[in-house]
Amino acid sequence: LTSGRVFPLSCIHTSASLEKFGKWEKKNRIVYPPQLPGEPRRPAEIYHCRREIKYSKDKMWYLAKLIKGMSIDQALAQLEFSDKKGAKVIKEVLLEAQEMAVRKHNVEFKSNLHIAESLTGRGHYTKQIRYHGKGMFGIMKLSRCHYFVKLVEGPPPPPEPPKTGFDQAKEYVQQLRNRTITHSL
Amino acid sequence: VESILRPARAAPTCLVVPMRTKRRFSVPNWNAEESIKGREKRLRASMMVSPEEHMERTFYLACTADIFDPYVPPEGDARLTSLSKDGLKQKMEKLRQTAASRLALRKVKNHDPNFSTKTFPEKAQEIFTEAHNSLANFNKQKLHSLVTERCYSEMVRGNRYKTIRWSFIESLEPPRVVHVRCHSMVNEDNLYGQVTVRMHTRQTLAIYDRFGRLMYGGEQVPKDVLEYVVFERHLVNVYGTWRMHGKIVPAWAPPKDPIIK
Repeated sequence: LTSGRVFPLSCIHTSASLEKFGKWEKKNRIVYPPQLPGEPRRPAEIYHCRREIKYSKDKMWYLAKLIKGMSIDQALAQLEFSDKKGAKVIKEVLLEAQEMAVRKHNVEFKSNLHIAESLTGRGHYTKQIRYHGKGMFGIMKLSRCHYFVKLVEGPPPPPEPPKTGFDQAKEYVQQLRNRTITHSL
Repeated sequence: VESILRPARAAPTCLVVPMRTKRRFSVPNWNAEESIKGREKRLRASMMVSPEEHMERTFYLACTADIFDPYVPPEGDARLTSLSKDGLKQKMEKLRQTAASRLALRKVKNHDPNFSTKTFPEKAQEIFTEAHNSLANFNKQKLHSLVTERCYSEMVRGNRYKTIRWSFIESLEPPRVVHVRCHSMVNEDNLYGQVTVRMHTRQTLAIYDRFGRLMYGGEQVPKDVLEYVVFERHLVNVYGTWRMHGKIVPAWAPPKDPIIK
């Protein structure tokens, strides 16, 4: 048995590993069983997120709601010309997710993706002192948020048609018909 | 004694010159440019000397990093078999007789007397099939015992979230040893033996990606495969075993099928 050269402790493997994997990151790890040849092709789903973005979650929600349901090209276009600070961050996240999809998750066309879900979550809040005049101070709250996105392969689903008056009337009539009289024949 | 030439006058015997002896305070010059050597000297003078603790971390080389002196398979190897068997047999014998292979074979037999070029190919094929089966089942412990570390990383790369289905149907030709080499790492005594085995077999391979979609090959599509598989063993180690080390892809090999997306 021959041993190798003398190595100082400094070059022992030290990697700055991401300490905690949240549930959203773990969703990328599920492996489905192979499909039988007769089944329709399962669309690919890619989960991506970014944690601790220095932005308010309520303000970020407006952008997330804007993107939900769009195709990825349309979403990127809308974010590029939006004036909000969070738009830049979400655009980076979407581009990262797109690249991940093509490289690792066997997606053929990078434009063939649409955004199925886009959510915001609350990050860690810290407090800071904001100095006013005359020795007065206020406590400032630094809010952070997380942003989650789920890309699904395929064209975006068609938008639901708005509910017409006729549909509402039909529902009302159906509700009336569903009523039962208890303890009757 | 007093005299005319020497009057008694008060004459000092020695000159008294006033000198300052009291130590005066002066501002130390900390801005003086200190050379690296000067600084080191100063620090070394004030530092405590302790015996150096040797941070040793030994590691053990169980396999070599690459295939040494790779075997160059002759062109048209697979196509000539059915036509000119005699020609190939002659070539086979020529290769066996190459000096380097023979030397290496002798060295291998020194360390492992049970080794023979006639029985080894069958064992090699068994190791090959078992290794691929355990890759399909993701049986890591068994795979590590059948395959060297270098080959393991090549086999497993990118496969963590994929399902692989592999099956060995039959062997079209009996496998045979084609090339033997011995090499040493670090020291001259640390010998690793590498044996190339030529295998012509029929296999099926199907790889499914993360979502269960077929990515490569087909489960019912058998393919004829001509491979040159390299097996390696750490000869000096008494408990060493022959393990799969890699494959040699000849330059004239047919191109692979594209990945289905």
